[in-house]
Amino acid sequence: MSAGPVLELKGVHRSFRSPDGDDVNVLSDIHLTVAEGEFVSIVGASGCGKSTLLRIIDGLIPPTAGSVLVRGREVTGPGSDRAMVFQQDNLLPWRSVIDNVAYGLVLAGVHKREARRRAQQFIDMTGLKGFESYYPHQISGGMRQRVNVARALALNPDILLLDEPFAALDAQTREIMQRELLRIWSTERKTVLFVTHQIDEAVFLSDRVIVLSARPGRVRAEIPIKLPRPRDLPMKRTATFMKLVDDVWRLIEEEVMQAMGFAST
Amino acid sequence: MSVTNRRARADWSGAWRTLVSFAAVGALWEVVARTVVRNRLVLVPLSEVLSALGSEIASGQFWRHTWVTFGELATGFPLSVLLGVSIGLLLAQSRPLQQILDPLLTALYSVPIVALAPLFISWLGFGLDSKVAIILLTAVFPIIINTEVGLRSTDRGLIEASRSFNASRWQIFQHVTFPFALPFIIGGIRVAFARALVGVIVAEFFGAYAGYGYAILAASQNFRTAHLLGYVLVLGFIGMLGSVGMRSLERRLAPWREMHE
Repeated sequence: MSAGPVLELKGVHRSFRSPDGDDVNVLSDIHLTVAEGEFVSIVGASGCGKSTLLRIIDGLIPPTAGSVLVRGREVTGPGSDRAMVFQQDNLLPWRSVIDNVAYGLVLAGVHKREARRRAQQFIDMTGLKGFESYYPHQISGGMRQRVNVARALALNPDILLLDEPFAALDAQTREIMQRELLRIWSTERKTVLFVTHQIDEAVFLSDRVIVLSARPGRVRAEIPIKLPRPRDLPMKRTATFMKLVDDVWRLIEEEVMQAMGFAST
Repeated sequence: MSVTNRRARADWSGAWRTLVSFAAVGALWEVVARTVVRNRLVLVPLSEVLSALGSEIASGQFWRHTWVTFGELATGFPLSVLLGVSIGLLLAQSRPLQQILDPLLTALYSVPIVALAPLFISWLGFGLDSKVAIILLTAVFPIIINTEVGLRSTDRGLIEASRSFNASRWQIFQHVTFPFALPFIIGGIRVAFARALVGVIVAEFFGAYAGYGYAILAASQNFRTAHLLGYVLVLGFIGMLGSVGMRSLERRLAPWREMHE
């Protein structure tokens, strides 16, 4: 569509000071380029720094070295061009569904009534119609994640960052949410960065799957997913799909074994 | 709608049960005082306590004492809330300040401040000032500590999400940490009210011209046990009203907490 990538990571490096005072490298030399409207998933063994990477892109934590560019401009903190969907829904318990969806807009200075009016559109889109005045504790986990997604979409960001958003949901709800996310993505045409530990989820959703190595996380492989769209759940039972999942799994398996303390063969 | 109905019904059945238990205790009191403990210095039947209270009301003495004690509470208690919340907010903002003051506050919280009441009377006199000072010192600590704990225990995830949406420090306070701390603060205020009530009565014991504490002490020195118990009943009633009022305030301001209880 437009010229140049929407998101670029150049040599991103991140280390943390451990309680013992040592520097622990979490991410090392990450290079990544994401095109407009692309759906990219990041998978890897647990502890490989995928959530940290997403937080760096969101601007919540700075990289130790390297840079993140959104449309060529360096990221120095959170901004309205990116919005994050957290693993824990992090909804404000004292705000109703609609006011949670409108929260980001209110923070950005939009008047309450106008914020609610705009939020309504995303409530309808995420299938929350009729639940506007409910409070988070009154709805199910799946519904809360819908609110979480709607809240990020309401900000109309260029890039949507999702951090294992469906990890806490049961299998059936997760599959429904995956399909819903694809439906919303196909109408909204956002650029999506999706972190997950579930390989089939990554393959099902993405144009491209990035495999990170175990700590420190590096880009180990990039696997383009050339499955036709629109995709639906039966696709998960096709041989091509299973082959792709298997390919990704093989790349991670060794890392997982190492991370768990087994020697690689 | 249905939730409100259910709550109203629960309130009514709760009130009904409270009434029944009060009536039972009252009846037991009356019977014991008339049959078992018949020394009128030790125990007076409820009916006589109520009639003593009635005569106090009729003579205007009751209103004189009420006016004084309520005046002291109405000055000292709001001041405690204001000061307690402000200090709690300050402490939650600054880590070094908290590290310096927290041990001191904890120590003062656990010291029975009322033991200092005679000192305050001799410093500040028999009037309003000494009572306000004692109310302040008994009531302020639970408010400070609850405010600080409430602000500090705010879910990190909520703060991170707000930061991710570019919220300023003030917006995070306004939309996240303060609403989160509110039920804690109200809980602190509830405890503080009970302590303030004890504080003001004890202060009046040690030096006052009027007030419930003064009336109780006077009744005790004149062996008028019925009058003494009458004022104690009134105090119990005020304490209960305060607690019920605070709970309903908590429910109104923090309805989402219902579900966790």
